[in-house]
Amino acid sequence: MQRKNRFSPKGLLEEFLLLSMTAIMVSPLFYVMIGAFKNRSDIVKFPFSINMEMFTLENFPTAVRRMDFFESLLNTSVITVLSLLFVIIVASLAGFAIARAKGKLFNTFYAATMTLMVIPFISCLIPVIVQANRLGIYGSIWGCIAYEAAWNLPLAIFLYTGFMRGLPHELQDAAYIDGCSTFKVYSKVFLPLLAPVTATCCIRCGVGMWNDYILARSMLNSVKNPTLMVSIYAFFGDRANEYGLAFAGIILASATLVVVFVLLQKYFIKGIAAGAVKG
Amino acid sequence: MLKRTGVEYVHRRNCVIFLIPAFVLMVVFVVMPLVDVVSYSFTDWDGISQKKNYIGFDNYKALPQMEGFSDMLVATFAFAIGMTFVTIVVSFLAALVLDKKGKGRLPRGLMRSLWFIPSLLSGTVVGILWRIMYNYHNGVINKALTTLGIERINWLETYGVTNIAIILAAAWVQTGLCIIVFMAGLQSIATEMYEAASIDGAKGKQVLRYITLPLMAPSITINVITTTIGAFKAYELPFFISKGLPGSSTLLLTGRISFYAIQANRYGFGSALAVMLILIIAAFSLMQLLYLRKREDIH
Repeated sequence: MQRKNRFSPKGLLEEFLLLSMTAIMVSPLFYVMIGAFKNRSDIVKFPFSINMEMFTLENFPTAVRRMDFFESLLNTSVITVLSLLFVIIVASLAGFAIARAKGKLFNTFYAATMTLMVIPFISCLIPVIVQANRLGIYGSIWGCIAYEAAWNLPLAIFLYTGFMRGLPHELQDAAYIDGCSTFKVYSKVFLPLLAPVTATCCIRCGVGMWNDYILARSMLNSVKNPTLMVSIYAFFGDRANEYGLAFAGIILASATLVVVFVLLQKYFIKGIAAGAVKG
Repeated sequence: MLKRTGVEYVHRRNCVIFLIPAFVLMVVFVVMPLVDVVSYSFTDWDGISQKKNYIGFDNYKALPQMEGFSDMLVATFAFAIGMTFVTIVVSFLAALVLDKKGKGRLPRGLMRSLWFIPSLLSGTVVGILWRIMYNYHNGVINKALTTLGIERINWLETYGVTNIAIILAAAWVQTGLCIIVFMAGLQSIATEMYEAASIDGAKGKQVLRYITLPLMAPSITINVITTTIGAFKAYELPFFISKGLPGSSTLLLTGRISFYAIQANRYGFGSALAVMLILIIAAFSLMQLLYLRKREDIH
C-alpha cells in the first residue's frame, strides 16, 4: 500500500481534524488534572491555564479526609480482588466442564447462563436488599463480594467456555492416559493455559466492580464512605461548590484504574475487542 | 457396569461437580432475586410490612397512570437513541482516521489510549465532573461559549437541553469502547480489497461506500446494540448530572426504579418498573443474539 504511506494534503487535514477532536475529548481530563491543583476561583476564572502562582496542594489532604480515602480505597480493593478471585475460580471450573463434557445438561446450563447475562443488576435491586437482609449479609463487605461475584459469573463463564472450546482435545486425552484425575486435568493442564482469557476476564469484570456505585451504596448504607465511588458522593450536587476538592476526589477515585490501564494497555484493547467480536 | 468405571463416565461426573459452585452462586444471588422481582411486581408490598397482598396485574395497569410515565419513556428512549447515534458517528469517523498509518501522522497508540481513558471512569465520577462543567455561571463549557462569543446555555435547567447534556456526557464515555471495536473491524478488512478497488479506479468516497461500510456492517451492528443496551442500563451518569431535573424530564427508567426502591418504599410498583426494564433489554439482547446467529451461519 504505497498510497497509504504517502503524506498528502488530505492526510494533513485528517490529522488536523483528529487532533481537534482529540483535544475536545481530552479537555475534561486536562481540566480535572490541573484543576485539582488550583483553588476554586482560579478554576472558574482560568480553567485551562497552567501557572505556578495558582499551584496549591491543599485540595488533596481535605479530599482524602472527607472521602475517608484510605478506608474506602481498601474496601474497594478488597471487594474487587476477592470478587475477581471467586469469579476466576468458579467460572474457569464451569467453563472447563461446559467446554470439555458433552450432553444436554451442559448445553442447558450454558444457555441459561447466557440468558442471565442480559439481566441488568439495578432491576433486581429491591429483592437483593430483601434477600441480603434475610441471609444476614446485609451491611457486610461479604454481601457485596457475593453479589458482585455472582452477577459477573455469566460473562466470565462465557469467556472461559469460548476460550477452552478452542483448545485441542488431545490435551485432556493425553493427561487421562497418564493417569490424571479430572481435577488434575483442569488444574495442571488447562489452568496454566488460561492466562490470556483470565486477563480479559479481570479487565471486563474488574472495571465494573471497581466502578460500582449502586450495590455498595445499597448494601453498605450504614457506613458513610464504604467504597470510593460512594465516597465521591461527598462532592456531588449543591455540596460541590469546592471544585478543587471535587477534582482531587475524582483523581483519587479514578487514578488506580487509569494507572492499571496505562500499564496493561495491550490486554485492555485485546480484551474489549475480543469480547465484542464474539459476544 | 463397565461404563460406570470408564474414564468417560468419571470425566462427565466430575464435570457435573465442577458446575456446582457456579450453579449455586447464580441460583442464590441472581436467579432468586430475579424470581422475586417478578413476584413482587404482582403485590402491593411497601418493603416494610410483613404482609404482601397479591394484586394481580394492578401495578402494571397503574404504570401508564404513573405521574410522568410518558415523559419517562420519552426521556429514556431519547437518551438511548441520542447516545447511540452520537457515539457511533463520532467513534466511526475517529476509527477511520486512526486506522490510517504512515509518516507524518500522529502516534496511533497514544491517540487511541487518550480516547479510551474516559471509558475507565465510573458513572458517578463522570456525573459529578460534567455537572460541574455544565454549571450555568461557573462551568467551563459556558466559559468556553462566552469566549467564542456565544451566549450561555442553561444546560441543567432547560427542558430538552438537559436531555442533550446527558447524551453528550454519556457519549464521551462510550466512544472509546466503540473505537476499539471499530478498529478491530477495520484491521480485519484485507488490504487486497483496497488494492483491487484502487486498480479498478475507485476513489476515496466510493471505497468507503462500497467496501468499508458493507464490510464494517457487523462491527456497526454490534456497537449499536451494545451501546443501546448500555444506555438503558445507565443509572449513575444521567442521574448525577441532572438529578432528573428540570421537572422530571431527565429522570430515566433506572432513576425511577431506584426512587421507588430506596426513597418511596413502593417495592411492588418499583418491581413492575424493573420488569419493564428487563423486558426492554431482553428484546434488544434477543436482536443481538439473532444477528450473531445469522452471521455465524454465513461464515
